[in-house]
Amino acid sequence: MSSMIEVKELQKSFGSLEVLKKVTFAVNPGEAVAVIGPSGSGKSTMLRSLVHLEEATGGSIIIHGKPLVKDGKYASAAEIREITSPMGMVFQHFNLFPHLTVRGNLELAPRTLKRESIKDITAKSKDLLSKVGLTDKGDVYPSMLSGGQKQRVAIARALMLNPDILLFDEPTSALDPELTGEVLRVIRQLAEEHMTMIIVTHEMNFARDVADRVIFMDNGEIAESGTPEQIFGSPQLERTRMFLSRE
Amino acid sequence: MNVEYIIKIAGPMLEGARTTALLFLIVIAVSIPLGFLVTLMAKSAIKPLAWIAHSYIYVMRGTPLLLQLLFFCFGLPQIPVIGQYLVMDRFVAASLGFILNYGAYFAEIFRGGMLSIDKGQHEAAKVLGLSKWQTLRKVIVAQMFRVALPAVANESISLVKDTALLYAVAVPELLNYAKTAVNRDFTVTPFVVAGVIYLLMTLVLTLFFKTLEKRFKFE
Repeated sequence: MSSMIEVKELQKSFGSLEVLKKVTFAVNPGEAVAVIGPSGSGKSTMLRSLVHLEEATGGSIIIHGKPLVKDGKYASAAEIREITSPMGMVFQHFNLFPHLTVRGNLELAPRTLKRESIKDITAKSKDLLSKVGLTDKGDVYPSMLSGGQKQRVAIARALMLNPDILLFDEPTSALDPELTGEVLRVIRQLAEEHMTMIIVTHEMNFARDVADRVIFMDNGEIAESGTPEQIFGSPQLERTRMFLSRE
Repeated sequence: MNVEYIIKIAGPMLEGARTTALLFLIVIAVSIPLGFLVTLMAKSAIKPLAWIAHSYIYVMRGTPLLLQLLFFCFGLPQIPVIGQYLVMDRFVAASLGFILNYGAYFAEIFRGGMLSIDKGQHEAAKVLGLSKWQTLRKVIVAQMFRVALPAVANESISLVKDTALLYAVAVPELLNYAKTAVNRDFTVTPFVVAGVIYLLMTLVLTLFFKTLEKRFKFE
């Protein structure tokens, strides 16, 4: 089985500060990968590099066999757009468009990109809103929603473009604790449908339950990775044990 | 102050107010798009464009509007060789001065509006596959105008009052008519009438922008 995402020796530095030090991993179709680790370990930077929100300074990222960056050399702007298009992303702070209704948020990109008919787009936004449990919120502006509802809208918005891969950048970190459940339920459902996902998270119980594989990042590198049983049950490294005992 | 007199001077004063209103509409209609264009230039990655935009803003904001009006109406024709081709109708010359001056202010207002937009908006649009241009059109501009609206309202009201500067370049408008009547009839009434007409115009604008703000509340 060929990998959907292959990351090889990915490097990123801001001046003399090395944020990513030769990060290498791969994600297979249908896999849910949780990325855990302390703040500043490079988790978010790694994730953001995959959709070209950060520019790597070295290494390779290969999506569906096509190099986004190869040995530090990026594809052309048009190719980058093409290669990153199968990936959707959900942000910590939702990043909904405040000037559009919930439905407007969902439909903006598909209507602008014009790959589908308007009829299909409106049918799909209706479907997805019901999938995330917000059927009655289509005509409401984001400012009227709770954090948990906003994040569910953001997930539905990402799904509108039929992504093969969904990236989650700490999707529950900005939420009040009582609102994380509703968001995690939606992500869990996607995992059950075998959506390929990379989830950067601080929710250890969630990572243990939902992920097929857990990557522990520390200090800009992948310190340890394995099944949830391995990482949470019998971590090999002292620093993994230290981190897990603190969380 | 008697009613008969007010009715008598109301005709010519409203005539003057028409010039005031016409100048206002022309300047608003041209300087807002100009300001937006200059904002884009100022943010452009092409350095000479950004430099031109910043210099333009600096000059127009850094010198008195009255000087600029005098320059366009009376200065341009004095330039050696090309000056003879720059003689314009004074209303046109003054409009040009107002447009360039207000364009610079609007550019700064819009630039401020753009700065207030979270970079997460650009990131979300990019990940959704929108191009830079699509992002600008569909995500940034709408939010920028919303943020800029109160400042745009403020500038528009300033513009109504600044039209009185036409007096200095002898284009007949509201204040000009008022002054003529005061000198001719030895009464203060025309000034009061002029004041009331300005207030009515700014009232209309205030209500208009209040409605706009309500409409673009996004709630």
